[in-house]
Amino acid sequence: MAAQQTPTNRTPLLIPCSYLTTEGNKTGSWRFLRPRYEEKTSPCSAACPAGEDIGRVEMLTAQGSFKEAWETVMMENPFPGVCGRVCYHPCEQQCNRREFDEPVAIHSLERFLADTASRYELQLSLQKLESKKQKIAVVGSGPSGLAAGYFLTLLGYQADIFEALPEPGGVLRWGIPLYRLPLSILNREIAQIRELGVQIHCGKSILQEFWRGGKSEYDAIFLGCGHSRSLPLKISGEDLAGVKDGLQFLADIRRGEVSALDGTAAVIGGGNTAVDTARSAARFGAKVILIYRRRRQDMPAFAEEVEMALEEGVELWELQTPVNIAAQDGDFVVTLQHTHVIGKDGQRKARVKPDSNKKKEIRVQHLFKAIGAEAGETWHDPPKKTRGMLGLSNCVLLHKSREPTLVYGGDLVADIKSVAHAVASGKQAAIALDILFHEGLDAVRPRLQSCLVAEGPSISWETYIGGPRSLRNQRVVRYSDLNTDYFQFAPMMIQPRLLPEERFQSFAEINLKIGASLAIREAERCFNCGLCNQCDNCHLFCPEIAVTRDNNPRGRHINYDYCKGCGLCVVECPRNAMILEEELLCDTS
Amino acid sequence: MRHVLEGSHAVSEAVRLARTQVISAYPITPQTHIVEQLSEYCANGTLDARFLRVESEHSALAALIGAASSGVRTFTATSSQGLALMHELLHWASGARLPIVMAQVNRAMAPGWNIWADQTDSLAQRDTGWVQFYCENGQEVLDTTIQAFRLAEWVNLPVMVNLDAFFLSHTYEPVDVPDQKSVDSFLPPYKPRFQLDLANPCAFNQLAPPNIYMEMRHNIQMAMDEAFTFFEQMEEEFDTILGRRHGSVEAIRCDDAEVILITSGTVTSTSRQVVANLREKGEKVGLLKIKLFRPFPVNLLRELTKPASKIAVIDRNFSFGASGIFAQEVKAALCNFPGHPPVYGYVAGLGGRDITTEVIEDIYWLTKNSTAPENESSWVGLREVDHAVGQS
Repeated sequence: MAAQQTPTNRTPLLIPCSYLTTEGNKTGSWRFLRPRYEEKTSPCSAACPAGEDIGRVEMLTAQGSFKEAWETVMMENPFPGVCGRVCYHPCEQQCNRREFDEPVAIHSLERFLADTASRYELQLSLQKLESKKQKIAVVGSGPSGLAAGYFLTLLGYQADIFEALPEPGGVLRWGIPLYRLPLSILNREIAQIRELGVQIHCGKSILQEFWRGGKSEYDAIFLGCGHSRSLPLKISGEDLAGVKDGLQFLADIRRGEVSALDGTAAVIGGGNTAVDTARSAARFGAKVILIYRRRRQDMPAFAEEVEMALEEGVELWELQTPVNIAAQDGDFVVTLQHTHVIGKDGQRKARVKPDSNKKKEIRVQHLFKAIGAEAGETWHDPPKKTRGMLGLSNCVLLHKSREPTLVYGGDLVADIKSVAHAVASGKQAAIALDILFHEGLDAVRPRLQSCLVAEGPSISWETYIGGPRSLRNQRVVRYSDLNTDYFQFAPMMIQPRLLPEERFQSFAEINLKIGASLAIREAERCFNCGLCNQCDNCHLFCPEIAVTRDNNPRGRHINYDYCKGCGLCVVECPRNAMILEEELLCDTS
Repeated sequence: MRHVLEGSHAVSEAVRLARTQVISAYPITPQTHIVEQLSEYCANGTLDARFLRVESEHSALAALIGAASSGVRTFTATSSQGLALMHELLHWASGARLPIVMAQVNRAMAPGWNIWADQTDSLAQRDTGWVQFYCENGQEVLDTTIQAFRLAEWVNLPVMVNLDAFFLSHTYEPVDVPDQKSVDSFLPPYKPRFQLDLANPCAFNQLAPPNIYMEMRHNIQMAMDEAFTFFEQMEEEFDTILGRRHGSVEAIRCDDAEVILITSGTVTSTSRQVVANLREKGEKVGLLKIKLFRPFPVNLLRELTKPASKIAVIDRNFSFGASGIFAQEVKAALCNFPGHPPVYGYVAGLGGRDITTEVIEDIYWLTKNSTAPENESSWVGLREVDHAVGQS
């Protein structure tokens, strides 16, 4: 093989080649469309009654910044440990990921953050605003009252909470069974509110005279005393000795005043109290029948709770209306009228009509009524329309010149009686009072409007105090706004739980803790709709290298000297955190 | 070592042996087998190359233009519509003087959809500045592909190696696959004469105003001339190392021929048989195979066709409104050559229709028995059809 000769190649080769910089060619002058960073609103946060910044919470969680994530929740809701357990999580219903595979387990992640904060005894570093001279009394230490106290204190007001019972928490303490909400969790979150400077005075009932005639030392009074009086069945025999009230039963359990229940227990009702009563009774050994006048799908109780009740052996009798209760040898005989569905009412629930002569009797050893509750005192309810009254989405303001302003909140005014709505109510009341004190009654509605999450009704504390969230567009990101090419299918995490057969042996918490790695993996599933998570697609795809970045987490910048307005960055942004606008319409200042 | 190889895989083996560094392609029948094999080689480590998956042929060539500008050896393969989609970048690759090698499987252009052999796809790109080869069999495909890198890198022009759809791309033949050492000695690592360099940043191929553009175009033509010269020298070296040569054109029994058939691609093999048959009957017929189409071997053609009194060009391609494309090129090569023989153009085998020995013999007799060409091209073997809309 001959050694290769490599003669010099003299083939003609003439091409344009320049060593001058091309920076002089300011291609930005070609632009007629202008991209810019604009964070938008994620649908979960719009669906959260408390307006939590969920997209950002999950982004921080995915980055392992658990304290920051927890504080981001705490900025809108002082009860992540409670809500991470008992909230009915409407956020997950609206999660855009639902259209891709399955929603993000927002509920479990919220609980994880609270548990992590508790485990490492994280201290809240939210700053209180400067002190104000006004004092506010809060009546009731349920979730709405505690939230009102929390947010008022953050705003710089002195808030005094008055609680009739010996311990604070209201329905959270007395109405929610331990297997859903362990006391330690509640105590920790109440302690945090106290540490912030909220005064809680227990064992102090408040009478209407408290503010009458301007006698009060308070500038405003928040009424968050909830619905504590059970509604009557209005049938014969309901007042027989031994017929128990569901709410009372749950409170008795908390006080340790319930012992084993043998035989069969019937629970009448279809709300959360009825389901909690049924599941608690089962834990005391009773065979439980839940009697509801409509169908399962019409029950106001959260579907997940009903599901678990059935798993635990509770029997559900649908379309049965109790018409009579009689005592017999220490037992109760309940006469049930069978009904059938004849259409739907305004809330899309079944309307029912009795089937003539279809009645049956059931003999039970224990009987609980739990068909709903109302205010404990008539003056707890807001009056019908009067002068100075302002009906807001989660509370009602009553402003009178010579008396303290009254705010009716929590379950007293709520259509959906959930903890998250109670928190929303307390927050809205606190902000509304702040606006009222500074700018007067007429400013309340428009100022609240400006801190809505999307179109409301949720409002954001962070937006109200002018935090970074206030720069966000209120437009909600829809699934079609996302570039899902950048996401991969991944199933939703499975919340670990006690087995059904383990559950009714005790009041141990059913949902188990999850570890950090599972939480991070789940949080990584979040699309962070409308938010920039610094994925750098804009930077990578820019043909002009006009997207630059710095170490600031929000540090993505467009160099408009060279941006041609091709819009690639906007299209390739997976999360819809950018917008492309016509150049002439832009504010170029 | 001899292997029974599919024509497509003869290309793949050559690309492997050439130690190609970047490959980018988009699948299209009947090319796909070429890059399928190469992607496996890249995946299993047989070939240490970056395989870029892209969303179109346009992007495939664009990616290689970027890669080649950084000074690496590059390869792509395509066919028909895919080549058409590359059109803009074909010009760019040659204008930028990038030695990209492409295997191009000759397939008919749509519509109607047709995946079979037809050369119109690559011949329609004859003015894009690419060196073009048309191969006859698997061995020639393998050898020419290896040579293509050597030639491209010498003259800084892209090279297209064409092979007929199915007749060659999907036909298994014994092919000698040379050992790596021999190929390495024929084809040393690519030493670019210019390349993008982070240490010395510059921009290539920006504005060329009227005062320089024309010189640059002329420069490409000078490189084309050099390509022709270098091809001969390169074949010499290839022959020394690997013991084979194919020639830019090949003349078979043309010395005393009265009628010379001119062919390209796989029709040549069939024509070899026809020439042998007719010679047995005493007919003075010769065969001229054109392998190198760009640069067009004008002088060789003039020389080799001198003895003939008639030339018959068989085109498996067509330029609408004119004639078969090889016929045009042959006529153009001869027209300024006093006393050249008349050129008969025949169009046959479009869209993969068989060009059998009978078809070629017919062409011979038609030519021999004619006094002068009656038209620019005669369509051979046309069926009787109703020329109305909607034929199935």
